[in-house]
Amino acid sequence: METLRDAFDFSDFSKAERIGLGLFTIFLLVFPWLGAGSFVKAVMIQFLLFSLFGMGWNTIGGYGGQVELGKAQYVGIGAYTVALMMVWWKIPFWVSMPVGVLIAIGYSFMIGYPLFRLKGHYFAIATICTSLVLQDIFINWKLVGAAKGIELPIHDHPDFLFMQFKSDVYYFYFIMALFYAGLFYMNWFRKSKLGYQLRMIKEDEDAAESLGIDARWCKIKAYSIASAFVAVGGGFMAVYNLYIDPYSVMDLDLSIKIALMAMLGGAGSMWGPIIGAAFLIPLDRFLGSWLGGQKGLIGVDFMIYAAMIMVVSAYQPRGIWGIIEQFRRKGA
Amino acid sequence: MFLQVVDLVKDFGGVVANNHISFDIDQGEIIGLIGPNGAGKTTLFNCIVGYHKPDSGKVIFKGKEITGFKPFMTNREGIGRTFQITKVTAGMTVLENVMVGAFCRTDQRPIAKKEALEVLGFLRLENVKDYHLNELPIASQKKVGLARALATKPELLMLDEVASGLNPKETEEMVDVLKRIHQEKKITLFLIEHVMEVVMPISQRVIVLDSGEKIAAGLPEEIVKNERVIKAYLGEKYAKGFRD
Repeated sequence: METLRDAFDFSDFSKAERIGLGLFTIFLLVFPWLGAGSFVKAVMIQFLLFSLFGMGWNTIGGYGGQVELGKAQYVGIGAYTVALMMVWWKIPFWVSMPVGVLIAIGYSFMIGYPLFRLKGHYFAIATICTSLVLQDIFINWKLVGAAKGIELPIHDHPDFLFMQFKSDVYYFYFIMALFYAGLFYMNWFRKSKLGYQLRMIKEDEDAAESLGIDARWCKIKAYSIASAFVAVGGGFMAVYNLYIDPYSVMDLDLSIKIALMAMLGGAGSMWGPIIGAAFLIPLDRFLGSWLGGQKGLIGVDFMIYAAMIMVVSAYQPRGIWGIIEQFRRKGA
Repeated sequence: MFLQVVDLVKDFGGVVANNHISFDIDQGEIIGLIGPNGAGKTTLFNCIVGYHKPDSGKVIFKGKEITGFKPFMTNREGIGRTFQITKVTAGMTVLENVMVGAFCRTDQRPIAKKEALEVLGFLRLENVKDYHLNELPIASQKKVGLARALATKPELLMLDEVASGLNPKETEEMVDVLKRIHQEKKITLFLIEHVMEVVMPISQRVIVLDSGEKIAAGLPEEIVKNERVIKAYLGEKYAKGFRD
């Protein structure tokens, strides 16, 4: 009961934040009926998906302060579990997605246990390495389609069990539901014992240990929560794209995007990952389609993208949300 | 015996920071640990609490051997500690800091909050509970470190230079706080201290370290007369002043 109340209780946020969240929710609910084109709809779905990824990363990377750059391996685990179980055994999405999450959690404990002997940059590098190794295995593993990837069979008619729909609207509402599940979970998480302990570890790990906190175990727990979040998103990617390969769901680029979005928006804050995704996903897509396609301008989108991140992180390490809070504190 | 340190050795590859140190602490005592810089006081603390693993020797707490336990494990056994330097951070408020300590003994946030507020009240920090550590003067920062440790409900509290950097008035207040912790909360205190105005009046016994060796132990009155201690640490002037 206590847990449920914490998850739905937003009363400790300011009035502006609560109104913002309400308006945002209404906007999302009516969005599919605003007549946006399919490109804009796809961007919105990407935005919600990456917000979900970012929220997951925020547990270990934001609250726990551990720079984690290997989330793509868990996107891959989630996506591949859904795709393979469907192709091999015709198992519906609603079974395969939870299985994918469980595998991701098990795998994250296995990886997390040795990894959290490391700290700081060494930890960051190690997470990149484990992700790259898994990607390489999948690129060369014939059984799971190797570098060719897997195509999910397309059903003739819409099928709720396998999450196959003709219209984007269903995908939109589904990822929106996942997004809110993630949001409520994070609202509980930030008030939980683990949330407090992780923040203390980020502040001062030695002091945290002196307060009876098993820092390594806390980090492993947070890491597996983050991995579960990301695996859910991975499962969604499989049924949404209907095609996955090791380059689209396990790439280093994806890992870094997830971390950067949360950092740009504001790591360790409730709204940070959402703000980060709201900035970067449209920027990424629109710049990619406007500039990336023009002759002589290939790569300019990445330059703008990178410059923005540099400016924000130099000005305020706590990201866009940090800047907003800074102004609020001054105003108060 | 409450805390028992037997023949403890910590060797940092050439520099022997703690050379065969033995002593006992009884429940309810206040013990001072003094000595010049580099004498091995903080190392000794770290060996007991678990930040360092002793090379040999034993640490026994309440009849249980805790040698080589990790810091979070010794804390769960009932040993709290504060640090010489409280890392000044901006990510958590004072109340949240203390709540983390209280979470050590409970999983429920309302209980942790209630206990944290109690500790803050005890240390008269209620009025700064919503500030961040970097917005506070050093005396309050030190007290927050103390509050954090107190919230874990320790039976033995090890304080590393809790009065350093404080002005005379703040020092007096700190001595008062320590006395109250000892009397009202019935917590055994073990403190490293450079400020003699803190150690001498409240310690029941004093242990003196110099270059990793335990050179003296006894009542404060005896310690100030001890030739070796005067030579190594106190200096003639202080010893004379204390006698007059």
